[in-house]
Parts: sequence; C-alpha cells; structure tokens
Amino acid sequence: MIVIRSKELRSFIKVVVPFAAVPALVTAGALVFDHNKHIIISMGVAIMALLVFASGYERKNTGTRREVIAAIMTALCFAGRFIPLLKPVAALTIISGIYLGGETGFLVGAMSAVLSNIYFGQGPWTAFQMLAWGLIGLIAGYLSEPLKKSRILLIVYGAVSGIAYSFIMDIWTVLWYNRGFSIKLYLAALQTAIPYTLSYVLSNVLFLYLLGKPFGEKLQRIKVKYGV
Amino acid sequence: MRSFSEYDPVVIAVFFVTVLSVAMFCGHPIIAAITLFTGVIYNIVLNGRQHMKSHLFFLILFIVLAAANPLVSHNGVTVLFVMNHNPVTLEALLYGINSAAMIVGVLYWFRNFTRIMTSDKLLHIFGRLSPKLSLVLSMALRFVPLFKGQAEKVHDAQRAMGAYKDDNIVDDIRGNMRIFSIIVTWALENGIITADSMEARGYGTGRRTSFTRYRLRGEDIVFLAADLILFGAAIAAIVTDSVEFTFYPVVRGSISGIAGAAGTAAYGIMLLMPVIVEAEVRIRWKYLQSGI
Repeated sequence: MIVIRSKELRSFIKVVVPFAAVPALVTAGALVFDHNKHIIISMGVAIMALLVFASGYERKNTGTRREVIAAIMTALCFAGRFIPLLKPVAALTIISGIYLGGETGFLVGAMSAVLSNIYFGQGPWTAFQMLAWGLIGLIAGYLSEPLKKSRILLIVYGAVSGIAYSFIMDIWTVLWYNRGFSIKLYLAALQTAIPYTLSYVLSNVLFLYLLGKPFGEKLQRIKVKYGV
Repeated sequence: MRSFSEYDPVVIAVFFVTVLSVAMFCGHPIIAAITLFTGVIYNIVLNGRQHMKSHLFFLILFIVLAAANPLVSHNGVTVLFVMNHNPVTLEALLYGINSAAMIVGVLYWFRNFTRIMTSDKLLHIFGRLSPKLSLVLSMALRFVPLFKGQAEKVHDAQRAMGAYKDDNIVDDIRGNMRIFSIIVTWALENGIITADSMEARGYGTGRRTSFTRYRLRGEDIVFLAADLILFGAAIAAIVTDSVEFTFYPVVRGSISGIAGAAGTAAYGIMLLMPVIVEAEVRIRWKYLQSGI
C-alpha cells in the first residue's frame, strides 16, 4: 500500500522519481520494450508526474484558506462541466493559476478531472486529463504577471491552451488505439477532433473574456482582505 | 458475506489496476475477447437490463473503431479490395477489430469501476495517498450541492425584489450572470470562514480519520491473494512471450506451452472473480430467504 505519510518517503519520491525513475523508464522503453509498448511508458510517466506533485504539495504548508479556495474553484469547474457544449473548466483553471499561483492552478485542474470523472466516467484518459489541465493551470501561474496585465494575452493563452489540450489528449488516443505512435493516425485523430478543439478554444476564449476580469477582482479582493 | 462493492476500497482498486494493466497492454486477441466478454457480463450483473442505450453506443463504437484502422493503415499482404487507390488489407481489418475489442472491453471495465468505486471509496484511497488532496476533493464534492442551494436562495430573493423577469431572455441571462457573481463572492467569503473554523478546531494538528471505516477482513485478504496470484500467472505468460500475436505483415500468433495456457486461463478466472462473488452472495441470499 502506498501511504505517503512519512516525510522521508515523500522527499525520497520527490528526488528519485524525476531524476531516476522517469529517465530510467524512458530508456527502458527505448531499449527493452518494442515500439508497441509506448503506451506503458506514457502512462507511467503521467502517473509519476502526478505523484511528484502530490508529494510536493503534501509537504508544503499552504495554509488552510488557500486549500479551501482551491476546493471552491474545483467545485465550480466540476459544476461547469455540466454546461452543454461550452466547458469553463480550463478557463477557471487558468484564472486559479494566475491569481492563486501555479501550484494551486495545477491542483484545481487535476482535481477537477478526477472529481468530474466520477460522474462523466473514469477511464485511462483520467491521468492524461489531470496532467493536461494541471499543466495549463501551472503554466498560467508562471505567466501570471503578463496575463494579469493584458486581456488580449490572456485570451491568446486560453486559445493556445485549448489547442494544446486537444493535441495532448489525441496523442493518448492514438497510443491507446494503435499501441504505438503513428503520425498518420495522429493527424487523422486531430482532424476528427477539430469540432472538439474548436469548442475548447471557443469556451476558453469566451469564459476568459467574460469571467477573467470579475473573477480576478474577486480573488484579488479576498487575497487583500484576508491575506491568503 | 458481502458483495464485491462492499470490499475494502484498496482491494477493489488493486483488482481493477491488475485487470486493466493486462487488458490495456497485452495485444492478444484472446485476451481482448476475454476482457470484452467478462466486462459485458459483469456490467449486466451490476446493472440488470437497464442501460440498453449504452450497450448500443458501445456496439456502434466497436464498429467505428474496427472500420477506422483498415482505412488509414495499409500494412499487410492480403489485399481485400482497393479503395481510392489504397489497398484495404485483411491484416489491417483484423488489427482494427482486435483494437476495438480491447478498447471497448477496457471501457466496459472502467464503467464497472466507476459504478463500484463511489466517491467515498475514492476519497478513502486518496486519503491514504495524500490527506490534503483528499480534503480538497471531499470539500469540492460538498460545495457543489451547497452552491446550488445558495443559488436558489439568491434567485428567489432577486425575483422577490423584482430584479428580473423570466420571460425575457436578455433579462434572464443578465440575472443569471448576477446570481453567478453573487455566488462566487459568497463562496469565497464562506470558504474563508470555513477555513478559519477548521483551524480553530485543530485542523492539521493530528492525523485525519475518514468517515467510512474499512477494515481488511478475511474475505478481502483471500480475494487479494487470489487476484495477485492469477495476475502473476498472466504476467508470467506475457513476459515469457508464451502469449504472442503479430498482425503485420501476416497474421501470426499462438498461445504456446503450459505457461501460455495457464496464463490465459488465469486471466479469465481473474476477470470472473467479481461475478463469482456476486453470484455466491445472491444464491446465499435466496437460500436464506427460502429458509424463513
């Protein structure tokens, strides 16, 4: 059983996984397995990335208030996934990342994926969805200063992350279907996914345009008022 | 005597991980067929005759996936016919059918998993892995109905003040936006109060306990041991290449030796274990009822 309660084990994971386990897995994938086993490698790397995050977050003293706000944003993302066609999950994750920091952004994105998939169906894609949304939030946190200042930049980031999300998920689709990567199938998958990609881009742009400023003001206000 | 959904969540999680790790990473048609077949059986055992629509959906998905591969992949030597100057080969078609069986089978198993792994069990496992993440998850789960209830209250209050009319679309959208804005502000303020209250009661000072208390019982351990032994047999067969199959350029494959046969049988029995548990529980229940 994996119980990451002891501090030593957590710090052990934090060092060993990114610097030893992931490279070892990738080299083993290249040398030992034949090319049909890419799917194991990619799945392993995705899960390890999530483990690294979990161990890092567990150790940090983030403060109860920040945790609760992360839970609120996750709940809003979850509720937003019930809106037909347009999904505000990525937009809300981006906003969380910008105003609450990259780590919270990652948390909101990843947790929204787990939570909403309880209803929408868990699948092998859950790990990839967690990683994709998490990274969108994390990078938004790194770009927080420019994104706060310019609304156009924010909307561009939303559009790019919508496309990136689709690209990441389609890599997974092809790996799973073909048990190996094929550029031809990948292009075919991207083509069939165009309506979805468009809906991601459109919802990100729309929700960031509508919610970006008021949400930012609200979060900023809470931060100033309570010193989160 | 409990049904499989009442077993310890860790046992359930281990079972599904072992099932899926073989199902997703082994490309043998017999393995895929077993996965699909047992997945459908277990789904019917769990849901009865409901969900006919989802069975239909999976059937259509199966056909689409099976047909997709021969249209984009032109490997293989046995050409069936030529379409748009591209050969459609038997090998690619069989590969497509195999992939479709694997994918639809895994989807069925995931559907069964979602059905059994309810949110409280998921939180139990997450709580062992990372108490903080589990807390965020469980709070978010609680917040959804809480926000919904509060939104209704705000809606009623706004209506009572005559803030907007329902029959006008523009007014309606504007009103809903206002409610959303109010809810977000309220949620954030309320969250801060929740956090302060948690800290005042000593959150973070000791170990967290969870609402449902699961204990490993004898049945859990027997199930877990059986699962791991059968999983080991299946993995041994796959690693030693006793269960091997290639589609390109020519379809060729076999289940060789005792290891291969034993591994395949072990995999089949492993996937039937929850159905066996369920059947035993139901028979026993019938028997007890008839004794009254």
